[in-house]
Amino acid sequence: MKVSDMMLTMLHTITSDKSVAHASERMREQRVSSLLVMDHGEVIGMLTPRDIFASHPNRIVADAMSPGPICISSDQTVWDAGRLMEEHGVEQALIMAEDELAGWITRENIMIKLAEFRDPLTGLFRAPYIQTIGERLLYEKKPFHLLFIDLNNFGQINKLYGHPFGDDVIREYSSLLATMMDERYDHVSRYAGDEFVVISTADDDRILSYIDQMETPIGIRHMQVSAAVGHVNGYLDPNFFTYSFRELIEKASLLSTSTKQRIAGTVL
Amino acid sequence: MNDKNVYSRKATLSLKISEFEVPPMQDLLIVGKKAPIGPEAVRRMAEALSPEQFTLIRIDHPKIEAVLLRNSLLQMLDEKLLMGIIMEEAERMISDSMVLRSELKIAVTVQREVELS
Repeated sequence: MKVSDMMLTMLHTITSDKSVAHASERMREQRVSSLLVMDHGEVIGMLTPRDIFASHPNRIVADAMSPGPICISSDQTVWDAGRLMEEHGVEQALIMAEDELAGWITRENIMIKLAEFRDPLTGLFRAPYIQTIGERLLYEKKPFHLLFIDLNNFGQINKLYGHPFGDDVIREYSSLLATMMDERYDHVSRYAGDEFVVISTADDDRILSYIDQMETPIGIRHMQVSAAVGHVNGYLDPNFFTYSFRELIEKASLLSTSTKQRIAGTVL
Repeated sequence: MNDKNVYSRKATLSLKISEFEVPPMQDLLIVGKKAPIGPEAVRRMAEALSPEQFTLIRIDHPKIEAVLLRNSLLQMLDEKLLMGIIMEEAERMISDSMVLRSELKIAVTVQREVELS
């Protein structure tokens, strides 16, 4: 999901020479939580209730405002926007479309939207997240590794030990995946029931190490739980960019099934 | 006569006129962190009244947010040395809601010895 899909387009502005008392009154009248500070058509800051509480009402807005908000391209995803705002420690950001101010967004809005994309059981993002990341990388012609991770015998675990135990397995395996990932290169999501997808731009050695760790059985209470991993390497496949993200997922998913069959020594 | 029928409104004006000093600013202003006038307002005021004659120095201090200094003072003395003296004196009396103004005069005394031929 792009930030342009959820940005606020109504811009409430004020000039920097107005008093804080005036700004406060205007915010109350217009029922807005912040004002964009603009001088001569240029954004120079943002005035929030926090700035107003911390300043004498006689001060001018220029002496009370927070510094110029960061700018985010309208093409960025909500995940990228959330990360950027967290990195900069800002509550608001401006959305720019081809150097023109198109709208603005608050971190609170982003966090609410991101919460909708989180899987409540594991805390990982759900499929739309990984789909957005994958489609963006394909669009930008940036290769990546796609790992499709499918837990072995999960149906049996549910049948033998019950769904609550199955949930524990999913939770613990997710936690293992999350700690394995390096946010500089990796994106992980719970794709469906017992399936996870990782997109990574890490080097081959690291990816092989990931696959090894993912496939090695781990003890969860009295069970040994393992997974089969299907790996599509975008750095080696010359036709990589001719596939859609959906086709790449299908490919990785089938490779994971083959791995599963190889491990089990069975033919479906 | 009945007092109730007497009504009068009067105003007394007092007018003091003196010459407006140009420039009207003093040598320095010390702006408290919660002062009613902030550093940017002070800078804009100085710039409007005495263009290019003052410099605003923002500082990291528990009570003081910035000091506005006449540029000529900075030409005579090193900024760090000057600020050290100003801060030492100002922080003893300022509260974070005050703006202090101050005159600062620098007199340089020179004594030289020369070789007699």
